[in-house]
Amino acid sequence: MEQARAGEYDEFVAARWSGLCHLARLLTGGDRHRAEDLLQESLVRLWFVWPKIADEAPEAYVRKVLARAAARSARRRWWGERPVEELPEVAAAGDMSAIVAERSRLEAALALLTPRQRAAVVLRYYQDLPDRQVAEVLGCPVGTARSHAARGVARLRELLADVIEPVG
Amino acid sequence: MDHFERQLTQLMHGDREPAAFEPRHRERLRAGVRARRRVRAARRAAGSVLAAAGLGLGLFLWPHSGVRDEPSAPHPWPATSPTGPAAPTPGVSPSVPAAGVTTSAPPPTDTTAPTDTPSATDGSTAPSSPTPTGTATATPDAGTTRSATHGSSGDSTATTSPPSTPATGGTDPSDGSSAGSSAAAGSAG
Repeated sequence: MEQARAGEYDEFVAARWSGLCHLARLLTGGDRHRAEDLLQESLVRLWFVWPKIADEAPEAYVRKVLARAAARSARRRWWGERPVEELPEVAAAGDMSAIVAERSRLEAALALLTPRQRAAVVLRYYQDLPDRQVAEVLGCPVGTARSHAARGVARLRELLADVIEPVG
Repeated sequence: MDHFERQLTQLMHGDREPAAFEPRHRERLRAGVRARRRVRAARRAAGSVLAAAGLGLGLFLWPHSGVRDEPSAPHPWPATSPTGPAAPTPGVSPSVPAAGVTTSAPPPTDTTAPTDTPSATDGSTAPSSPTPTGTATATPDAGTTRSATHGSSGDSTATTSPPSTPATGGTDPSDGSSAGSSAAAGSAG
């Protein structure tokens, strides 16, 4: 029984590891170590509820735990985020590491948002969740979630103006 | 969704870095599960200990608080009970229903019979004091009859007075006779 449970759990984690890692990185603003810690904490919690939700939506559970833990841990502890005037690591034109630099730009810009704004933006634009589900995941009213997402996008619009060129 | 939002979505999806689930990740997960299990067990044990301690404390304090609420000393009983020999008065009194029987009851008991006989001679008074006299005269002597005279006016005091009065008044029968007369007066009144 326990072996079967562990086998199913391992299978799920191995299949979804990459996507969950990426989600955790976005939720933490690019902090790889913190993202791993958060993902580990979420997956450990998943283990204890696995018999209940294995047949339902384990990924949604992990997503909810991740998003809430990211917002909560950021509130609880200072992670060294410091607002700066200029974003670091600006990619040079024709640089081979342009993609990596672009990712770093995005993560650095996300790190400048508040945890709630960041979570709302990530859930809305990376997970493609509607406002109602974003609110459900974050545990707040729909209007609040929409407001977080809108403010986060507005802030990103300022920060990434040179990366994402406006149309026309 | 405007252009920037579409670009943002592409950027978030596009820069996905491939990551494999390695054995070290699995080991770390297992260790995390074990640690969490230990924490849960410890928390459960602590909860059980706390619950047991609380229950024990409650049970320990429960009877003390109950006793504390009650009066420490017993209720004051009539003076007859501590005086000893008259203790059976509550039991005897119902066994001796009528005043006429009181005269017959004392003789077989003890030497107080002679002292009681005068009260019997006051038989004329006996019918006048119906039930209370029967209860009072059961035990000692004329003194009791005298108390019964008081009892005719207030029945409960009839049982309380005997032990104190017989010591002094029981010696001379004249007292008893006078008491009997007073009893008659009391009963009449």
